[in-house]
Amino acid sequence: MVALLVKKQMTEIFRGYFYDQKKNKARSKVSIVLFILMFVGIMIGVLGGMFSYLAYSLCGGFAEAGMSWLYFFIMGMLSIALGTFGSVFNTFSGLYLSKDNDLLLSMPIPVSSILISRLVTVYLMGLMYSAVVIVPADIVYWIVVSASPAVIIGGILLTIQISLIVLIMSCVLGWCVAKVSLKLKNRSFVSVAVSLIFIGLYYFVYFKAQSVIESLLVNAALYGGTIEDKAYALTLFGKTGTGNVMAMLLVTLITVSVTAVTYYVLAKSFIGIVTSTGNVDRVAYRQKKLKMKNELGALFAKEMAKFTSSPNYMLNCGLGSLMLIAASVVMLVKGGNLIKAMNMMFGKDAQACICVFVIAGMCIILSMNNMVVPSVSLEGKNLWILKSLPVNMWNVLKSKLLVQLTVTGVPLIICDICVLLTVKTGVIEKLFIVLITILFMLLQAFGGLALGIMRPNFTWTNEIVPIKQSMNMFIEIFGSFVLTAGILVPFLLIRYGIGYKISVIVYLFIVAGVLLLADLLLYRWLRVKGTDKFAQL
Amino acid sequence: MVKIEHLTKAYGNKLAVDDLSLEIKPGEIYGFIGHNGAGKTTTLKSVVGILKFDSGDIYIDGMSVKDDPLACKRKIAYIPDNPDLYEFMSGIKYLNFVADVYKVDGLKRNELIHKYADLFEITNDLGQPISAYSHGMKQKLAIISAWIHEPDIIIMDEPFVGLDPKASHLLKEMMREICDKGGAIFFSTHVLEVAEKLCDKVAIIKSGKLIRSGTMEDVKGDDSLEEVFLELEGE
Repeated sequence: MVALLVKKQMTEIFRGYFYDQKKNKARSKVSIVLFILMFVGIMIGVLGGMFSYLAYSLCGGFAEAGMSWLYFFIMGMLSIALGTFGSVFNTFSGLYLSKDNDLLLSMPIPVSSILISRLVTVYLMGLMYSAVVIVPADIVYWIVVSASPAVIIGGILLTIQISLIVLIMSCVLGWCVAKVSLKLKNRSFVSVAVSLIFIGLYYFVYFKAQSVIESLLVNAALYGGTIEDKAYALTLFGKTGTGNVMAMLLVTLITVSVTAVTYYVLAKSFIGIVTSTGNVDRVAYRQKKLKMKNELGALFAKEMAKFTSSPNYMLNCGLGSLMLIAASVVMLVKGGNLIKAMNMMFGKDAQACICVFVIAGMCIILSMNNMVVPSVSLEGKNLWILKSLPVNMWNVLKSKLLVQLTVTGVPLIICDICVLLTVKTGVIEKLFIVLITILFMLLQAFGGLALGIMRPNFTWTNEIVPIKQSMNMFIEIFGSFVLTAGILVPFLLIRYGIGYKISVIVYLFIVAGVLLLADLLLYRWLRVKGTDKFAQL
Repeated sequence: MVKIEHLTKAYGNKLAVDDLSLEIKPGEIYGFIGHNGAGKTTTLKSVVGILKFDSGDIYIDGMSVKDDPLACKRKIAYIPDNPDLYEFMSGIKYLNFVADVYKVDGLKRNELIHKYADLFEITNDLGQPISAYSHGMKQKLAIISAWIHEPDIIIMDEPFVGLDPKASHLLKEMMREICDKGGAIFFSTHVLEVAEKLCDKVAIIKSGKLIRSGTMEDVKGDDSLEEVFLELEGE
């Protein structure tokens, strides 16, 4: 039964790989293989490659110092951090908010099977992200230090232990959010706040990790000794990877026991949470004057209500807004240091390079905002409302674009102002910084909506599928990264590869021109073909 | 008011509606009956402009749904078989949204929302999110949203499903009231007793084809509608 339910969930998550929604038929074997290869390539090639390099740079030094356990401890912590970050925001909705709750509960399926099947999905997501760090760490250790049977078993065991720790952490946060949200009225914002605290901690740890690792490398013996003295359990965790039998047994026992306790707590409250309608007092509605809006205003308010009603939607698709605000503060407080570093790095070229780097940095942050991408699919079973009402379909699309542009545009302008106050360049360069970031934001919005229209999915049972697990989101995010690289890399290649000192104003003019052209073409497509396609969905 | 001419709609190779023609005149409550998958919902969705059809045409007060869908939709209200409404909105926000789309005057929308919400006894729940509503409450909300812009024509797909007896009775009265004012109602139902008592005219569809239509007396004669329906279905 559990296998059947897991298969159902996996089919939903990976449906886009096997089924062409646009053509309403199964994909060819070639295209399935290509899609899977692309996904694997990014996970293993990009992320795996990055962590392989880190593992390789740490492994030898720690092994020589006789502190291999500290190497596994550091890589293990990074693996837990990435795994938890990758799966934690899905856990609440993945465990409790599926639309098929009632259907499954009405069937002769044990509640435990429903819970286990959902935990398996959370586990696999966590495993996927954590393995990207810990598997390269294991392999590097086997190559550089030892590949004895005990070490190999220890490495595999450590990978499993880490995936269980990720599962425990994700479940605990998901359970806390569920419990909190049942008690509060503004549950979306509370869920977002709880998750943002977690993100804040994550980024704090992430930014500190580099200096901590460097410090650990220099003072490995000192820190290693301190950890061994004061937190022996952590030493055992690292020793698992080195093939220490006692560590393997003890850590496995602890991890499995805590997993069992976590499962027990979840199982006790699962049915209560999924069937609860909330403990918020029902306040009788009192008649008040209703605000009137025009058609576009009403549609915009509806789209905004959808966005702000879902913590998943806000966290996964609107994080860029918060990052833009954070970047604004960083520019005002630490901007001077950044400029100094750039000056040291590029010397005379610094002024030119700063503009391009600042634009690329802001574009990367803008890539995190993509609420327009799933907005079409999120209409789901409600699509009949828009199609039966006398609304102009272009207004419907505009309302979706406006949410993205409002939520992104306001912090972008704040960030642009802070950048302009900090960066010491000419007026024309400053104007290009503002212009290009705005054109990039528009391109993301237009491109994201076009993707949503061309590849809609109205048959989801959990909104996390269109919001986070769809091919559309994958294309949008990585497309934005590629586009950002397309702004930065040619400049560096021309200037430092070919050695041609292209004027930064000319370069930025070309970039702005290309972006403007792409914006106009996409806008034109949305206005004519996109509107027509949406009307026919 | 509603004229369906040679409507044909296929899903792939399967013909869902096959050359169907019907006319609904002012003041008529027109019932639409048929077995599951006969093509009722496809016909109703085509009339309200949700589905594009392959051939034929549909006219609302003389305007073609194909040529001017927005103008047609302004005259129509539609209630689907399953009231999937925006669960992230409260009841009052949903009604206000629909009123905004139909440009209902501020005072008028207040008056109508509270008139119908009181009638269906959901006024106190209007501030709650729709996700907290029962199926019946969602159905009532869908009905109110259809009535608040005072449409001339109302198209309904199984409107009585999920309603309590009092609400069903109220809906029948509201349907008759619309028709008495010169409007028209076109609705599908499986409850043949309701159709027999309520409808002025009835159409029976089987496998996408209209097999009988006309006034209730023309269709059923001295038999009950159920007997006629079962006899036609058996042919």
